[in-house]
Amino acid sequence: MADKIDLQKMRAKVEGINTLPTLPSTLRQISVMLEKPRLTMDEIARFITNDPALTTKVLKMVNSAAYGFPGRISSVSHAIMLLGLNVIRGLLLGISVFELMQKNMAGLWEHSLSCAVSARCIAQQKKMKEPEEVSICALLHDIGKAIVMLQYPAEYEQILGKAEKLGISLYDAEKKLLAATHAEVGLWLAQKWRFPPNLVEAIGFHHQPQSARQAPLETSIVHVSDILVRARGVGFAGDYFVPAVHPAAWDMLRLSDEEIRTVLIQVEDSVSSGEEN
Amino acid sequence: MSSSILIISGSQTTVATLKKNLAGLGLGNVEAFHHFSATFDTIYNEIPLIMIVDVFEEKETVSLLNSFKEDPLFTGVPVLAIVDDVHIPVNWEAIHADDYIRRPFIDADIAMKVQLGILRSHRIVEVNPLTRLPGNIAINRRIQNRINSQQPFALAYADLDNFKPFNDKYGFTRGDEVLKITGRLILNIVKGKCSQDSFVGHIGGDDFVFITDPPSMEDVCRDLIDAFDRIIPTFYDPADRKAGFIQSHDREGHTKTFPFLTITIGVVNATGLPFSHYGEVTEIASEMKRYAKRTPASCYSVNRRSFRTQKNTEGPWTRNT
Repeated sequence: MADKIDLQKMRAKVEGINTLPTLPSTLRQISVMLEKPRLTMDEIARFITNDPALTTKVLKMVNSAAYGFPGRISSVSHAIMLLGLNVIRGLLLGISVFELMQKNMAGLWEHSLSCAVSARCIAQQKKMKEPEEVSICALLHDIGKAIVMLQYPAEYEQILGKAEKLGISLYDAEKKLLAATHAEVGLWLAQKWRFPPNLVEAIGFHHQPQSARQAPLETSIVHVSDILVRARGVGFAGDYFVPAVHPAAWDMLRLSDEEIRTVLIQVEDSVSSGEEN
Repeated sequence: MSSSILIISGSQTTVATLKKNLAGLGLGNVEAFHHFSATFDTIYNEIPLIMIVDVFEEKETVSLLNSFKEDPLFTGVPVLAIVDDVHIPVNWEAIHADDYIRRPFIDADIAMKVQLGILRSHRIVEVNPLTRLPGNIAINRRIQNRINSQQPFALAYADLDNFKPFNDKYGFTRGDEVLKITGRLILNIVKGKCSQDSFVGHIGGDDFVFITDPPSMEDVCRDLIDAFDRIIPTFYDPADRKAGFIQSHDREGHTKTFPFLTITIGVVNATGLPFSHYGEVTEIASEMKRYAKRTPASCYSVNRRSFRTQKNTEGPWTRNT
């Protein structure tokens, strides 16, 4: 790449984004859902939390000025109760196919979903009050990657190639070649969409959990989940690198071998049950 | 005397065209006046259904119309302005009209414009500006309709506990956010459990009312309490959320600790009870709410006076958390 993309321009372009791509299989499930005569809030919440694009849409909507709860709601089931089934139905009807669904995106969504399973499991083991909120943090931690892929497809390919050639992580390659990393890009959008602080921090700091101020625990869980899922080889986060766990995050969680085993089993189970569908 | 369609125009041909088109619609009497000033005796005695005003005929018409519409009592009266077919820009900011019609099109369009104008004014009920839920008048009308129809219904009266110290501590903006989520939760849970013939209204402040069919009501209350208790901690600052209580002032100004907001619901199951006036139902609902208030947690209580066959451990009423 001859010249780096200008930071200001990149931010403006990123903040212009309104939707993330949905998997074609999700789209087929939506039409099945919408035909059901009686749809419960639980059913629809489960469905939405299985897709980062839908989850982003719902959270963006409930935190928007129109509904008037900016920066408060980070749980999809709460969001659905506040928006109401009619609004959710309309939102699902409005989902359209992105012409270009890159195969990298499918791998990324799979990685995100497994991280969500892992984060929920850790949050339950740590007896946190709202495990769903933590799992959403993990589900959305890499939205920055999806955005870069979408807005800078050529540059992203180059970075992927470079990372592989130099044997460095995608994150490090981004630092070298892009004006901002995927974590920063995700942070910009999370702030623009008025996501609650715990979500903003988990997205922005999942590679440097020590920087989290308001949600160090959630951020550490996402950080560790990201690494566990990479180590297990589920999905594709853009590289085959398994980075080191940050000691501060590790100390905060103090996961026992037994707990880690449980997390990995749950991740595995969710992957195999996903394949059956 | 029934409400009427009021015409204010000095042009005899215009009045004749209007009357010809409106008389047969069956909407009400059609009355015509030459000057706006001549109408007050009529409109202050009987609020018109709609007013059709030749706005540019006389200088004083617009100022009289504006001062009439500025009175909150009459803001809701739809005003249809007649303008001439000359393409001069009209400053609608300065004229309190709701719609317009060009003179050459009166014959073709007036019937539809008037019908739609009246319908639109009926559809706009008074709403609470914060939650956009119907307010007192609509609530009372709805309860009275349910009583008159003699179909069974259940009515709930809900309010929040510890709302004042919450407002004092975090400011009324955050208090308003809590009222908005409360209204939204009630609406979505009520519509989810009982989509037909249900109703949600906002009396004001932290007082809400909702109506469902009797079998759905207890489910609605349970779901509402569960959802409310789960969402409410997100409205506290992280430190307070962790502590589980806040420091604030009581009515005497003393600093005290207050638990988190909870919701209390009083329910009247009106099945088989001989109500004739809405006030009787709301009175029992308040009584039930007061009874439920004895429990510090979010809870609801239902009158069981009409259910004497059911097992009753707490006298005539039961309280549920």
